Amino acid sequence: MSMLKKLMVGGALAVSVGALADEVPPPLPVEPVGIIESLPARYPADWFLIQDGAFFHMSDGKVIVIDPTQEGVGDQVKGMFNVSLMGNIMQAPGRGEIYATETFHSRGTRGPRIDVLSIWDMENLSAVGEVILPQGKRFMGMPAREVMHLLNNDKWLAIFNLSPATSVTLVDLDTREIVSEVPTPGCSHIYPAGDMAFTSVCADGRFTTTHLTADGEVKERTRSDVFFDSDETPIFERPAIIDGMAYFPSFKGMLYPVDLSGDVAVPQEPWSIAGDIEGEWAASGIRISDEDSSGAMYLLMNPEAANTDGKHNEGGPEVWVFDPGTQTLLRRIALQEWGLSIAVSRGPDPKMLVTNPVDMSVELYDATTGDFIRKLSDIGQETPLYLYPAL
Amino acid sequence: MSLLDRIFEKQARQVAQQSSRRGMLKKLGGALVGAAAVPLLPVARADNHAAPAKPVEEGDDTSCDYWRYCAIDGFLCSCCGGSANTCPPGTEMSPVTWIGTCHNPADGRNYVISYNDCCGKSGCGACLCMRDEGDRPPYRPDKTNDINWCLGTSSASYHCSTAVVVGVAFEE
Repeated sequence: MSMLKKLMVGGALAVSVGALADEVPPPLPVEPVGIIESLPARYPADWFLIQDGAFFHMSDGKVIVIDPTQEGVGDQVKGMFNVSLMGNIMQAPGRGEIYATETFHSRGTRGPRIDVLSIWDMENLSAVGEVILPQGKRFMGMPAREVMHLLNNDKWLAIFNLSPATSVTLVDLDTREIVSEVPTPGCSHIYPAGDMAFTSVCADGRFTTTHLTADGEVKERTRSDVFFDSDETPIFERPAIIDGMAYFPSFKGMLYPVDLSGDVAVPQEPWSIAGDIEGEWAASGIRISDEDSSGAMYLLMNPEAANTDGKHNEGGPEVWVFDPGTQTLLRRIALQEWGLSIAVSRGPDPKMLVTNPVDMSVELYDATTGDFIRKLSDIGQETPLYLYPAL
Repeated sequence: MSLLDRIFEKQARQVAQQSSRRGMLKKLGGALVGAAAVPLLPVARADNHAAPAKPVEEGDDTSCDYWRYCAIDGFLCSCCGGSANTCPPGTEMSPVTWIGTCHNPADGRNYVISYNDCCGKSGCGACLCMRDEGDRPPYRPDKTNDINWCLGTSSASYHCSTAVVVGVAFEE
């Protein structure tokens, strides 16, 4: 509407309102301009972060902060921040920050490249700092939570590199400077191993734990026994981790408990996830595992994957919930349609969010009862590949 | 780069539920996985004494079913202005790749296939194809398709994936 028309309409309204002055409420007050919302310093337990990798235009990836327990999009969407070119994120609520590895070219898809660690402030979803990373090294692949990890009393951030040579870059989060780059030859990803060490999974079928000096250099490497064959009996690199125990599903439907609490990772006896249950069940999908505050483990399961190579990324129709310590199947949650990634909220009343790849929506379930709650399909998402509970 | 065919299109889910085609491919893939090896190592170059005067292969290279795509996960360059073994105009082929071993039904041989990505433009968006046979997690970089293989290129922007024959696989 043109300004002139607006003025004319406004004048007409003023006349008619004046004629009915005794019957209408007072006009709305003039409102301040320029107000920007903010979020609570600690996100509520029912909130989630949806990582939309923008698979068809990856330099425009983003993360949407949502409360899926609300009914309308106005109450569901809390905010958003960008993560360029298949980046990865990690929440650090103790520091009030979210870290994101990103890559940019000066002219969009071309021009000089820069890799950065972006530091987002959780309250304002503002980029409050960055650290320039070594060019062309940071892991750039499907989103994963096994590529960043806090060390040294949350002072250092460890970032996994795959170029395809593998290493870990240590960043001092206080000074926002790089501490060191630690080679991890033949080994990938980052799993907890105490305050000054991290564990990686290796191509030769074992784990290596890298112990660090106060300067961020390699102090010692310890290695577990070989316990899987990366050709014939591969494990997923995506475990659930509960009380220092990591539970790695295998492509063939086994679960490998690995004790990460000591100086060296200790694989324990694997067990069949499905046991006597009919079908060729195995974990499948992108984010295939999570855990809740009670210590239960959640696995996204596919009934045709255990004996058929190539089905490990497809996702599945059910989520199975285990007490992994006693190897007890607590419940099977049948999804509405299909799941690609799952995440479970923390707190006493956990909710489960699931990416439905059929229509690229996300769906909310009561994680305790398995009841479907609602579908969220119009929250600005395109390819919600990875989900995180708010921490 | 990787992903998710079933995942973006309803037809993809139907594909996954149709065990006939995928089942056949999976059995094939299962037989072949392990016949592959580290890039450039157990590769026998074309045999000059082979009988056929002209090498043979059959199929539609814009179809996800095409024999070379057994371990692929990405947009098919054949649908993007390139071909099964060439990049579209104005892109750059990644010099480092992941590999698979695929069976050519037209001549009965297994071939080592190098899935070089084409880089420098945003995602092609056409013919997304995920077969994943023999795909392994990133702790096996030589066999993983879940990372962006626009490595060693001037641009990290993933556009599409090729499937280049780099040799005949040794029989085990």
